[in-house]
Amino acid sequence: MFRPLHQLVPLTIIFAIAVTAFVVGRMYLVPETFGEYGHYRADAVGEVASQEIAYAGYQVCYDCHDDIYDEKMESNHSGVSCEVCHGPAAAHTEAPDEVTPDIPHGRSDCVLCHGYNPSRPSGFPQILPELHNTGKPCMVCHNPHAPVLDHAPTECSACHRKISSQKMVSHHALLECSQCHTVAEGHRTNPASVRADKPESKDVCGSCHDKGAESSRGIPRVDVETHNARYLCWDCHYPHQPEVVR
Amino acid sequence: MTHTLLAALTSLANPMAPSGYIYPNEFELHWSLLIIVYPYLTGLVAGAFILASLERVFNVKALQPVYRLSLLTALAFMIIAPLPLLAHLGHPERCLEMFLTPHVASAMAMFGFVYAWYLSVVLLLEIWFDYRKDIVNWGNEKKGFMKYVYKALTLGATDISKKSLAFDEKIGRAITIIGIPSAFLLHGYVGFIFGSIKANPWWSSVLIPIVFIFSAIVSGIALMLIIYMVTSMFRWKHIDMKCLNKLAELLLYAMIIDFGLEFLDFIHRLYESEESIHILAEMISSRLFISLIISQILLGSLVPMVALVVARFGKFPSEMKRILYFIAALLVQVGIFSTRWNVVIGGQLFSKSLRGLTVYKVDLFGLEGVFMSILLLLAPLGVLYVLTKVLPPWDDTDPGAAQIQK
Ligand code: HEC
Ligand code: HEC
Ligand code: HEC
Ligand code: HEC
Ligand code: HEC
Ligand code: HEC
Ligand code: HEC
Ligand code: HEC
Repeated sequence: MFRPLHQLVPLTIIFAIAVTAFVVGRMYLVPETFGEYGHYRADAVGEVASQEIAYAGYQVCYDCHDDIYDEKMESNHSGVSCEVCHGPAAAHTEAPDEVTPDIPHGRSDCVLCHGYNPSRPSGFPQILPELHNTGKPCMVCHNPHAPVLDHAPTECSACHRKISSQKMVSHHALLECSQCHTVAEGHRTNPASVRADKPESKDVCGSCHDKGAESSRGIPRVDVETHNARYLCWDCHYPHQPEVVR
Repeated sequence: MTHTLLAALTSLANPMAPSGYIYPNEFELHWSLLIIVYPYLTGLVAGAFILASLERVFNVKALQPVYRLSLLTALAFMIIAPLPLLAHLGHPERCLEMFLTPHVASAMAMFGFVYAWYLSVVLLLEIWFDYRKDIVNWGNEKKGFMKYVYKALTLGATDISKKSLAFDEKIGRAITIIGIPSAFLLHGYVGFIFGSIKANPWWSSVLIPIVFIFSAIVSGIALMLIIYMVTSMFRWKHIDMKCLNKLAELLLYAMIIDFGLEFLDFIHRLYESEESIHILAEMISSRLFISLIISQILLGSLVPMVALVVARFGKFPSEMKRILYFIAALLVQVGIFSTRWNVVIGGQLFSKSLRGLTVYKVDLFGLEGVFMSILLLLAPLGVLYVLTKVLPPWDDTDPGAAQIQK
């Protein structure tokens, strides 16, 4: 027997059930205060506001730790808030004798910010933790509240690390920096105004590499007069890694 | 030890370190393998469906042997398609919120409804109307448990008189006609999500949704070619060369359009030469060289196109043609997967500062790893297997079924 459109009957029922289930489900599942202010649950505002405050802010610390506060404010860590290192300390400010904040002693706490990472801006002080005074806590040398060391570094490598490490594995490894550079004492405390000098003539290289130079016999020789005479030696040989011809 | 040595060692262990300048939050990619799998799967759904509608709406009779198979394939892939997204979410259980409190200004939120529409209204309905007569027959013939499954599937609509079936046919056509724009919407949306991110010069392009649609068609047709050949082989049936030739032809045309569009996009970018062009060029020539130039363009587009032209229009024994078609279709899958890879990963490899490139390190294990992706790529085939057992799409298993199609 042909019943016109009888296929549509069950389909319509199923769709009606689905749509009703959706509409009714929404009535129960959508939180009551949803949409009051915007596309979110209005109650959430109150819930978040009523959460306990965990961080006190660095200004509060001044009341009791003014010495550390002042010290830090004048150091390179002036922009690093106390609770970044010590963790949330609101409870401590209210009952200092009962609750004491964490004190980070591990190297990893500092490496979090100072470990080398290619995406950090160049100029941000970064170290390779595997190489920078391995095995010692940072605090042995750096005061966390005023991290810059209070004495001038003695080694050139402290500031010219890339150059010195390049040189270290090059054929010039055994040469002192002073062999080619004369450096005034002030350069180590104030490098920008007291400049170190750089070689200006080929003779510096010639003193060891020229055919007739009086230097140890293992040193490779060239005729400084004729070996690419039109250029300075360091137009081609990077002096701190001379085997690389550029 | 020295820095240089260490740097040399690390660069040996990891030949592709980030280069140039990148922002801290760009070091790691947030959209990983699963987000590649997702557009790949939806593309196959849309492609397979559009292929099926060609037979139905435009009466391409040669495609009749793959009509039902395409519908089931679209359904199988559709069921699995949202799983990669769910696996990618940190809180998959919250996906329901998208339906309960959808934000009308969010394309992603509205898409939940597009998906529901496509799955229930288009795919399920079309399959139901198409199979209704068979389901009723099977309900009467089969024994045991399956009998009741089929009885239930009829939903009580058991009238299979001529008039009633004619109505099925009519409504099936109507659904297909609605289905084509829906399929375009489904995959166009995925492209839209990328194309509308204006801060990302690799994605931001109005052409992307269209390119996505055509690449979906390409991948869908190629997939059906593969599935048709493999299933025929396992069922010891002859492959209908008319159908196969038609599939190859359509695949070729779709590929030409797809390739043309992508080429247009490329030329357009080159001609516009916005400030991003340098970093994008660097990215293509370094990070994406294998996946874009080799895998997508050469192996995934040019080689299969040549193979298809040669096989379709050359004079070869059909054995040879079949092999060529099959290889071409497999390469197309590799190519389309690479396309998805290049879109998703490419858009995250370069820094928004336009000054550096990061690297994508693929995980092996874990929720977003290689194994999970392989699982999700194979799962639709499992679903398809079950579907073909319940709703055999083949005429020969039931001689009566051939009648409805005529
Ligand atoms: C009301 C005064 C007060 C305020 C405000 C205060 N502190 Fe303290 N803090 C103390 C006292 C007192 C001690 C010594 C407690 C002890 O040794 O038992 C102390 C000790 C500490 C210690 C050392 C804990 C230890 O185990 O030795 C740290 C770290 C510290 N405070 C951090 C902070 C920070 C960070 C702030 C700001 C958020 C802060 N304090 C604000 C009074 C205060
Ligand atoms: C860069 C991280 C860092 C910051 C920022 C920092 N601290 Fe500390 N703080 C430390 C470390 C590490 C120690 C432990 C020092 C040690 O063991 O020698 C410490 C020790 C302390 C101590 C106990 C020992 C002492 O020297 O008296 C107090 C009190 C203290 N900090 C307060 C503060 C306050 C107040 C601020 C903000 C003005 C602050 N700290 C900011 C890392 C930090
Ligand atoms: C929250 C991030 C952060 C942490 C943690 C941190 N620092 Fe710093 N550090 C900074 C910033 C920011 C500067 C200032 C950089 C600038 O001047 O450009 C700085 C500067 C320094 C400097 C001065 C470098 C120079 O010569 O310019 C040293 C040394 C230093 N920190 C050591 C430490 C040590 C040791 C620790 C662990 C107790 C530490 N830092 C923890 C952010 C941090
Ligand atoms: C044995 C003492 C010592 C220890 C331990 C030490 N440092 Fe240093 N650090 C120095 C000295 C000295 C300098 C000055 C530059 C140099 O000599 O390399 C310095 C420089 C720095 C600089 C500035 C680098 C730059 O390029 O401007 C940072 C940042 C730094 N250290 C962080 C740390 C961190 C973080 C730790 C712990 C993981 C640490 N240091 C441990 C002695 C030390
Ligand atoms: C406190 C850190 C520091 C130390 C220690 C240091 N330098 Fe420098 N040096 C600098 C800086 C910073 C500059 C760059 C100055 C500029 O360009 O304004 C510089 C520049 C130079 C230059 C290039 C000058 C030019 O005109 O281009 C030479 C050469 C040099 N240093 C050699 C040395 C040698 C050799 C030593 C060891 C004896 C040394 N420096 C120790 C910080 C340092
Ligand atoms: C073999 C001689 C020689 C030695 C040894 C040497 N330098 Fe140099 N250095 C030069 C010359 C030559 C230049 C100039 C290069 C140029 O202008 O291209 C130079 C340039 C520099 C500069 C300027 C920046 C640059 O890279 O061009 C710095 C800084 C510097 N040297 C630091 C050092 C330090 C630190 C050491 C020891 C670790 C050192 N040099 C050892 C010959 C030398
Ligand atoms: C104090 C002596 C001395 C000075 C000055 C000197 N060198 Fe050298 N040079 C050496 C020694 C020692 C070697 C290493 C020889 C060896 O490998 O056994 C060397 C090696 C070289 C090499 C050979 C690398 C290779 O491939 O074998 C070159 C190139 C070179 N130096 C260039 C220069 C240049 C350029 C200058 C001037 C900026 C210069 N040297 C200044 C002592 C010196
Ligand atoms: C135009 C570029 C150029 C200039 C300028 C130049 N060299 Fe060379 N030098 C070379 C090349 C190239 C080699 C060959 C490198 C090789 O064979 O590995 C070389 C080789 C050397 C060697 C190694 C010879 C050997 O037996 O291994 C020394 C030492 C040397 N140069 C020193 C110097 C000195 C000193 C100067 C300055 C007077 C200088 N060079 C200027 C390009 C240059």
